[in-house]
Amino acid sequence: MNDLIIEATEETPKIFFKQDKNEFCISERSLPENAVEFYTPIFEWLEKYKNKPNSETIFDFKLDYFNTASAKQITKLLLLLEGIEKSNKVKIRWFFKKGDLDMKSSGLRYDKLIDINFELIEY
Amino acid sequence: MLNDLSFAFQLFEGMEKDNLSYIYRGLFTQGVTDKIISLTETNLANFGESSKMKKRVFSIMVEGLQNITRHQDVLSQDEKSGIFVIQQKKNRYYITTGNPIAKDHIPKLTGQLDKINSLEKEELKKFYKSVLNDNMMSNKGGAGLGLIEMARKSGNKLTYDFKKIDDEFSYFYLYTEISVSQNTEDKDVIYSLTNIKQLHNILNKENVLLIFNGLLNQDNLINLLSIIEEHMAHALLLKKRVFNIMVEMLQNIVKHGDSFETDKGNSGIFFINKKGNSYFLNSGNYINNKKVDNLKLKIEHVNSLDDKKLNKFYNDRLFNFQIDSSKEAGLGLIELRLKSKNKIVYNFYKINDKFSFFTIRTCIEYNA
Repeated sequence: MNDLIIEATEETPKIFFKQDKNEFCISERSLPENAVEFYTPIFEWLEKYKNKPNSETIFDFKLDYFNTASAKQITKLLLLLEGIEKSNKVKIRWFFKKGDLDMKSSGLRYDKLIDINFELIEY
Repeated sequence: MLNDLSFAFQLFEGMEKDNLSYIYRGLFTQGVTDKIISLTETNLANFGESSKMKKRVFSIMVEGLQNITRHQDVLSQDEKSGIFVIQQKKNRYYITTGNPIAKDHIPKLTGQLDKINSLEKEELKKFYKSVLNDNMMSNKGGAGLGLIEMARKSGNKLTYDFKKIDDEFSYFYLYTEISVSQNTEDKDVIYSLTNIKQLHNILNKENVLLIFNGLLNQDNLINLLSIIEEHMAHALLLKKRVFNIMVEMLQNIVKHGDSFETDKGNSGIFFINKKGNSYFLNSGNYINNKKVDNLKLKIEHVNSLDDKKLNKFYNDRLFNFQIDSSKEAGLGLIELRLKSKNKIVYNFYKINDKFSFFTIRTCIEYNA
């Protein structure tokens, strides 16, 4: 499957999906005015990936900020990954900067709400 | 004064409503001035200004900002902050800078300004060259080159004034009009400068850091955020809270505000001030009267919830995909409450049969 790589802008995150290397990462910041539009190609890619996933998917979130519009898209993304976990291993790694209590508590929230292997990592 | 939310509307009116204007007041670092320049570039492009106008505004702004950064070493306290103001009215731009200077410098500066103002276009060009030559010979630097450049680029006289701060320092205000045609009436210029001096006084008292008045769109939002980021470069958690709340408040206006008198976008005002241990974020925008009751109910509901219920409400909304469009995720107001840990203060001010002016304020405490 083709890689999905979208460079970061001041308002949208960096997307780095490489199936053959088993690297999946969303990083930087996500505050687009229209989050639905930005995340559409990401869902499309993952829907295809879902048909032939790696035996273990390690999916990294390394975000600095996200707005509420993005929060909902992240929920959808996690639910999609939860779906993959029914047949294959999936692990979410939620990174937060040392001292960033807000990003940590967002991670804790998702961990509680989504039934998936979820690890919080301070860096 | 800020306890009364009508302040936002007064400020909005005082800044001439839908005309673009913004003010930064505080420490001018290289980072901050760069971001102010980007904000202006974005707006000049939005207004479709000619490249001639863009260049003029740009160079005068750069000189003005450098003027502030060069002289701000004298200041230590908040109340001696420099100020930068840009305004746009009827195809003209006005840039005002204010910065503290030592009293001893006033006579020399006054001399330079009067000399510059006495010269006509060609003479000014010659004068620039001779000062430039003298400078290179003596290697003294400064010597009013920046001021001559501002006068040349604006094509207008420089208006200036001083205001005593204490026995040692005064504020030096410099007001430049940039237009393709000639100066406006002198009395308008004096009125505007007096207005800004008074405004500066209020902003000092209320410790206002940033005011933006104009069309609120995503581009301006990003620029405003980066100014605040630079301003708060050292306080990670606080910065992120302020950042987060700013995003939600401004995107609310972008998405739900209504435009009044213009079809170019939603105009409104946003400002930040700091009091004691708190940052206050304030926004104001037009809203259609039909939306008022519903919005009021939503805010009241969010305000009525305690922390636990608020979190539950947030979680429910996070999984409510009935509300999931390019316009709305249904989380913004809850986020304001959660992140600020304070109730949302709001007000609706009815303007006419169709519109109200909606103001909202959130408060973020340092140790929250």
